[in-house]
Amino acid sequence: MLEVENLWVRYGTVEAVKGVSFSVPAGSIVSLIGANGAGKTTSLRALTGLVKPGAGELRFGSTSLVGLAPHQVVGLGIAHVPEGRRLFPKMTVLENLTMGAYRRSRADVASTLIMVYEHFPILKERGRQLAGSLSGGEQQMLAIARALMSRPKLLLLDEPSMGLSPIMTAEVGKIIRQINALDVSIILVEQNAMLALTLAQYGYVLQTGQLVMQGKAQDLLRDEGVKKAYLGL
Amino acid sequence: MTPALFVQSAIIGVSLGSIYILMALGLTLMFGMMHIINFAHGAVYMLGAFVIYYVFFQGGMPYFVAFVASMVLLGIFGYLVERSIYRPIKGGIEPTLVALLALTTFLQAAGYPVFGQLDKHVPPVFPGTRNILGVGISIERLMIIPVAAALVIGLYLFINNTRLGAAMRAIEQDKEAAALQGVNVHVVNGLAFAIGFALAAASGALMAPIFKLDPMMGEQPLLKAFIIIILGGLGSIPGAILGGLMLGLIDSIVATALGAEPAFLLSFVFIIMLLLFRPTGLFGYAS
Ligand SMILES: Nc1ncnc2c1ncn2[C@@H]1O[C@H](COP(=O)(O)OP(=O)(O)OP(=O)(O)O)[C@@H](O)[C@H]1O
Ligand SMILES: [Mg+2]
Repeated sequence: MLEVENLWVRYGTVEAVKGVSFSVPAGSIVSLIGANGAGKTTSLRALTGLVKPGAGELRFGSTSLVGLAPHQVVGLGIAHVPEGRRLFPKMTVLENLTMGAYRRSRADVASTLIMVYEHFPILKERGRQLAGSLSGGEQQMLAIARALMSRPKLLLLDEPSMGLSPIMTAEVGKIIRQINALDVSIILVEQNAMLALTLAQYGYVLQTGQLVMQGKAQDLLRDEGVKKAYLGL
Repeated sequence: MTPALFVQSAIIGVSLGSIYILMALGLTLMFGMMHIINFAHGAVYMLGAFVIYYVFFQGGMPYFVAFVASMVLLGIFGYLVERSIYRPIKGGIEPTLVALLALTTFLQAAGYPVFGQLDKHVPPVFPGTRNILGVGISIERLMIIPVAAALVIGLYLFINNTRLGAAMRAIEQDKEAAALQGVNVHVVNGLAFAIGFALAAASGALMAPIFKLDPMMGEQPLLKAFIIIILGGLGSIPGAILGGLMLGLIDSIVATALGAEPAFLLSFVFIIMLLLFRPTGLFGYAS
């Protein structure tokens, strides 16, 4: 469903992503793992048009994503939960969710909201509360729920476990599985390689902007190099 | 100062404050969303007033028609400025400020050959005075208050109750996150330019029958609007409203009691004092 071929991105003189290729089969969870500064976030930002790639091909189905603005990418059915959640802190939970459905009709919004509340009952309770006043875990839930409001076919998640307790991390993992079961493909970017590789079917390992390893998630989990470098085993 | 004089200058202060508020709202809205200070705001105020001169006085159209024309024409101009100046600069703040300064200078300089060297005057739209608590107040000045109030309420409802208004608030809080929800940030920024320019045009249009018209007439209200948005907190709409009222009252009451120069000085002293205690302004917050 998504094909990335030879992606290059630079910030000024810094080459952040150097010829990365990966693909996401329809219905799957694919994980990008790697240490700080490996280029994971930058790869996602290139997909949704937040940064312009220097070179490379990005295809979603038969559509090229190169040169599209973020709002156009959302329109194609790709939702991006950015690093750090990036909620609208001075808006209520409900307003944040409504913003997630910005390009959709009012009737659609109402029905999607019912679906989203089924997965995130806590957000229904907190509907009138300002997003900025939620706990870290609730904010991450809201960030994911907001992305689902656009009814995406592909969901990009950038470090959803960042700053969360082990219990909340497990909760987020459960939600990611549930979303995938709704036939939403997922790219999961994580520094928590254990979480990422237990959820994903396939994984890619990035290091200083380059792809250094790829394989089935269960194989990567057993790989000695991955174990040492990313799983802390 | 007699009580009657006080009441009179207070009402004139609210009227003056209303003009300041209309100027400051657009500035603060544009600052909140794009982090730019629109130096051209004073020139837009001036153009707004000249539309009244040509459409109402020269063209003989009803004042209401000229007023709407002034807001619509300059609103469109605002959108075009976003499209042709702000957007191509791609968010570079310093280059945008220089470009807006250049636009201001151009509009003011072009004003002399186009509008003529001599000051223009627009005849009163609402002649006469009205007696309030025993003092006569010009109806022209009084009428500014409900018109400005209607525009402020309209803006408030728009921002808080429409999809585009929500997009403006979203951009103000996180431009990239707004884009990721599907907001076309360029178009919504263009809308903010249009609204800001239309409100500046409205204040010029309301002042046209009261003050003389010349190409530099926007400088003073622009300076006031700068002071107000710093006073109220950059990007804050309630701050712009409260700050505008305060500055209008200071200008009017102190000027009546002590004269125009002390009022000018005092307004600065007041603002410096306030900022010493609240560096982020009345409604501002540290970012
Ligand atoms: N806005 C920017 N300007 C300049 N350099 C940047 C910018 N954003 C990222 N970089 C650089 O690009 C490289 C890749 O960063 P990126 O954020 O993509 O890494 P990451 O894999 O997401 O890391 P982390 O796990 O810390 O989030 C790093 O060297 C980083 O310093
Ligand atoms: Mg990152």
